[in-house]
Amino acid sequence: MRVCVQILRQFCFNSATKRIVEIPDLQWEKSQLNRNVACRFFFIWFPDLTELKLPVSDPNPSLCVCVLLTLQWDTDPSVLQLQSDSELGRKMQRLGATKITQVDFLPREVVLYCKETQTPITGTEEEDDEEIIDLEPALESDQQEEVDNKETREGYPGRELTEEEKQQILKSEEFLSFFDCSIRVMERALAEQSDIFFDYSGRDLEDKDGELQGGSSLSLSRLFYDEHWSKHRVITCLDWSPQYPELLVASYNNNEDAPHEPDGVALVWNMKFKKNTPEYVFHCQSPVVAVGFARFHPNLVVGGTYSGQIVLWDNRSHRRTPVQRTPLSAAAHTHPVYCVNVVGTQNANNLITVSTDGRMCSWTQPISTPWDFMELVYNKSKPVAVTGMAFPTGDVNNYVVGSEEGTVYTASRHGSKAGICEMFEGHQGPVTGLSCHNAVGPVDFSHLFVTSSFDWTVKLWSTKHNKPLYSFEDNADYIYDVMWSPVHPALFAAVDGMGRLDLWNLNSDTEVPTASVTVEGASALNRVRWASGGKEVAVGDSEGRLWIYDAGELAVPHSEDWARFARTLMEIKANRGDAEEEGLVELTP
Amino acid sequence: MAEVEETLKRIQSQKGVQGITIVNAEGIPIKTTLDNSSTVQYAGLIHQLVMKARSTVRDIDPQNDLTFLRIRSKKSGIMIAPDKDYFLIVIQNPSD
Repeated sequence: MRVCVQILRQFCFNSATKRIVEIPDLQWEKSQLNRNVACRFFFIWFPDLTELKLPVSDPNPSLCVCVLLTLQWDTDPSVLQLQSDSELGRKMQRLGATKITQVDFLPREVVLYCKETQTPITGTEEEDDEEIIDLEPALESDQQEEVDNKETREGYPGRELTEEEKQQILKSEEFLSFFDCSIRVMERALAEQSDIFFDYSGRDLEDKDGELQGGSSLSLSRLFYDEHWSKHRVITCLDWSPQYPELLVASYNNNEDAPHEPDGVALVWNMKFKKNTPEYVFHCQSPVVAVGFARFHPNLVVGGTYSGQIVLWDNRSHRRTPVQRTPLSAAAHTHPVYCVNVVGTQNANNLITVSTDGRMCSWTQPISTPWDFMELVYNKSKPVAVTGMAFPTGDVNNYVVGSEEGTVYTASRHGSKAGICEMFEGHQGPVTGLSCHNAVGPVDFSHLFVTSSFDWTVKLWSTKHNKPLYSFEDNADYIYDVMWSPVHPALFAAVDGMGRLDLWNLNSDTEVPTASVTVEGASALNRVRWASGGKEVAVGDSEGRLWIYDAGELAVPHSEDWARFARTLMEIKANRGDAEEEGLVELTP
Repeated sequence: MAEVEETLKRIQSQKGVQGITIVNAEGIPIKTTLDNSSTVQYAGLIHQLVMKARSTVRDIDPQNDLTFLRIRSKKSGIMIAPDKDYFLIVIQNPSD
């Protein structure tokens, strides 16, 4: 039997040091191999190897050789053929790379809470977390990632801005516009404080505020007063917005106690929200004596001032000063402008202003020089000192003016009889307020108007007669303003110097007002204005306070009110005819 | 500029208002009526909250945007009016 041995590696055991050392190169001679060897599988131990020239200096060397045995037997069919690892035996064992299968393991999804504390966390409990944080797990939205990056970059509290930078930002245009809008929203939100958590079972219901009453009487709804802008100023004029029924503008006189503040102030108040500060604050250099919303330009507020200037404010700009104003020239007004009115239609409208020197001007946008002006002169000699002006409903040409002498005139803007037409005498004092009949209904009463005067009376007139139809004499002080209800044909409101607000319903009683209320503090009431829905009436007083009263049931017209009013009128005329012997001068309109 | 001061003072003096802070888009306070540490704390926390709220609104509907955020808690309330570049934060005590 022959054995083929292939020597793979050679080791030598040093019995002294008890170490196994590998011998790299060992050449075998044929003769040595012929010895009897005790063969163990794979390891052949050679006991006596002194003859081998071993590179180790060992007194008692012994050699162990690691071999791979390949057994070859005779090709005797009776002998077993053992083929063990024959292929491997032939070649040198070489380690090479096997086929690599790539397996991708995604990093574990970790839920991260963006919670940061003030003290930076140094070293967490688990090292796993740290590793995972370093991996920066992918998140859905880019914004989130950016924010996270910012947080990790900036840390907490973030970089500071210098004082200068802050001032810069505070002055910038975009900051101011942001501030303007968001402060308004915030104030409304602050005012709308209702306790949504109120538990009705927890406590007894106290008596409710007197909000539920106010059915058939005049009740106070709101008070608008601004500490800064309203104090010590008289309310000179009021107007409700035609576009937003909850807005109204009030103009204020100058504040004698504060000479450095602007003389003229106009505040726009909002009834809808509970906040008690004005929506917009406008001011100008001269006391504002007349104000109105520009009827066809929702963003503009027109003011007439004591100096004769007409000013225009725009709520789109952040400026509180006027965006446009007329020049102080002889071509325009040089006297206080007590009436401003926008008449016309959407496409053809004019701003009509009248001052106390009798000049009436009509302006178009942009206002720089009047488009048309006219001197209101009676009988071509006497200029009319106009204190009030009103256009009857639907009429853009003819109008009524009241004067300081107590006379009322009708006039027209265009036509052959342009200028003053007729004179109505009756009042013994300056006419303070003038109102043409507004309510539109089955019967036309547009020829009626009421006037109020310093002579303690309110008089009812018709444009067809030059003497008053009726005189209401319930008051004991100067009557400062009067206005017909926009919805009820027989209802008008009047305010006087004792703080009284009277509602007269001519269908019920012509001798005394149907409802009357005195404002708190009994300051003189300067102006009264019905809201366009006819439910609320706003009064402005001499202390700068703006009271909104709810007229309730009184102000709701019924369909028979028109017919009743027609009868009332006839009665009035009949009584009048009896009382006064002189014949009425019928005027052709 | 003085109007901004005046308006802030007026709102500060209203009933229930504890403090007002104006923060820019990066979360840095610009103007405040609170003390420094509270301001910084509120600014950082609320800035993150508003960003999250805004992204929530936007994710649900990309055309939508956050206009107002109001937080009610047991002891206080926070109202935030966010804008593209700034936030106005008002902290209040719901005393009533």
